Amino acid sequence: MSALVEIKNLTKSYRKGGWFAKAQDKTILRKVTISLREHEILGLVGESGCGKTTLAKVILGLEPYQSGSVQVLKQELNKLNKAQFQYLRRDMQVVFQDPYSSLDPRMTVKQILSEPWDIHGLHKDKTIREEKLKELMQAVGLDPAHLHRYPHEFSGGQRQRIAIARALALAPKILVADEPVSALDVSVQAQILNLLKEISRQRGLSVLFISHDFGVARFLCDRIAVMYQGKIVECGPAEKLLKNPQHPYTEALLSAVPLPDPNLQKNREPVPTKYDLSLAESLCPYAARCHYYNVQVCEQPSALTETKEKGHQCACTRLPFQNDKSRYAV
Amino acid sequence: MDARKDTVLKVQDLKVAFHTELGTAEVLHGLDYQLEKGKVLAVVGESGCGKTVHALSLLKILPSGGEITCGHIYFKNKDILSLSSEELRKLRGAKISMIFQDPMTSLNPIRTVGAQLTETVLAHRKTSALRAQATAIRLLKKVGIPNAKERMKEYPFQFSGGQCQRIMIAMALCLHPDILIADEPTTALDVTVQAQILKLIKDLQTQNQMAAVFITHNLSIVADVADEVLVLYGGYCVEKASVEELFSRPLHPYTQGLLCSLVSVRDKQEKLPAIEGYPPAAGQTLSGCPFAPRCPKACAKCHESLPPLFTKNGHEVRCWLREEKA
Repeated sequence: MSALVEIKNLTKSYRKGGWFAKAQDKTILRKVTISLREHEILGLVGESGCGKTTLAKVILGLEPYQSGSVQVLKQELNKLNKAQFQYLRRDMQVVFQDPYSSLDPRMTVKQILSEPWDIHGLHKDKTIREEKLKELMQAVGLDPAHLHRYPHEFSGGQRQRIAIARALALAPKILVADEPVSALDVSVQAQILNLLKEISRQRGLSVLFISHDFGVARFLCDRIAVMYQGKIVECGPAEKLLKNPQHPYTEALLSAVPLPDPNLQKNREPVPTKYDLSLAESLCPYAARCHYYNVQVCEQPSALTETKEKGHQCACTRLPFQNDKSRYAV
Repeated sequence: MDARKDTVLKVQDLKVAFHTELGTAEVLHGLDYQLEKGKVLAVVGESGCGKTVHALSLLKILPSGGEITCGHIYFKNKDILSLSSEELRKLRGAKISMIFQDPMTSLNPIRTVGAQLTETVLAHRKTSALRAQATAIRLLKKVGIPNAKERMKEYPFQFSGGQCQRIMIAMALCLHPDILIADEPTTALDVTVQAQILKLIKDLQTQNQMAAVFITHNLSIVADVADEVLVLYGGYCVEKASVEELFSRPLHPYTQGLLCSLVSVRDKQEKLPAIEGYPPAAGQTLSGCPFAPRCPKACAKCHESLPPLFTKNGHEVRCWLREEKA
């Protein structure tokens, strides 16, 4: 399997201050190395502010990056000129979190869905276009008769379907979905998840699926990467990662997910929570919160290394000393 | 023990309507429940089902245009709806307090956290500013904010989202209220912080024998905190039962659908059994059962007339399918 998106040692920082305060660089992504393979759904899970969305923006070319390499379809993003970039954009599309703000309220559904074709000069023939619009609407489970309506006439779930249809209009190879279901109601969330799964299988899409919800990631993703403070701390096949989490942060996240069963929930053992300010500057970014912290082992740099399981990587210096199965697996 | 004595909150046939330019829309169509001391009632529902409106009406703080058209809310045998505004003011914050959904917008950004915390104490108790300060510091420590004394002088933007929510909780709990109303207190937070906040509320609730109304759309949270669950759909209570009963034996097709469509971290699912269709818009009036248009088991009767609540062994359900079995 070849990789459609190949990221190596990507580091990104934002400049903060500079008007009255002294300018300061804030590092958002630290040496991120990850790849999105053909026909796979890769989940990116982490807390708010950990850099998930920034990574997505870099891949989409919406944010510049300082060091490292980002290759999309074997092309280095930094080296493309405007025209080349425009051409590459056809192959990568995005679905945003909030369907209430990502659709232009003054455009009809028809205008929203044809805009990508106008921009890229595709399907200029009117009858072909009508045909394609109908197909798109049906693919996402909407009634083609509603093409002339405006976004406000639809509910949240329907709007997210429109956003997905817009992303599919250019028949992309890569789809970036940034928390596409977190703004939706529970009963509608399931519909959209089914739709995303079905569409990406049918069309052989490669999807970068950003989420903070392990349940959603498990349902949809083939592989999951866990991010903490701009660093990928664990990455592996979804089932293996959830059944046997290796990084203490993954353990903590998993044990914090409430289970929809009162009996199971009451008998669970939570990961002890702590925050040790004195360890905030440690080499390991998670040291301050880690429930296994040990001075001898943890005060050295850690990089993503292969665990005993093939394809399962973890960045924790404790890893070689660990042999039993995690107590906190779900 | 006398059951009636322990009831701290009793809601009877509560109806709320909103007056808009387009006419009057009823958003809550008669809600009934009782809450006992030390118990947690979870109110579950999707957006627009009336769960927040219900919470706001408990404190009589509905936004303009909203009106309680019918019903009674008894707090320890006193009808809240008949109280004067002065009496209500004494009740709010002291006896019944509330935590809102978004901590970042519920705190005043231009006043220090300390000033906002002591304000509540000073408004209700005859005490010195210094004592109020001490109370506030003690509470901040209790909700797990380090360096409480120094941080009293800081402003909300200097705290993280989770910490702001803790401050909101401290503020809500500083006068040991009898009832805590929490409206989606963890929706804006990360799972790890959510787990901490839920544990904190549970601990404080058992320590102080406080009753709580927990409003959420997340059934997993319900399983974690609630004793009793009330499921709202389209402004109607469609099912009410104890938490164990509801999760092991859901009777209403909506509740069944909701529980099925949950994604699980424990198993790999191929396809989610989703509920087709979309929830009704707030204020939309239907002649029959509000869930009938989406219900896989709906029959002609469901579209025509609204089923009443059928009760069996304390498990209430609003569904015609349960009629003969009740």
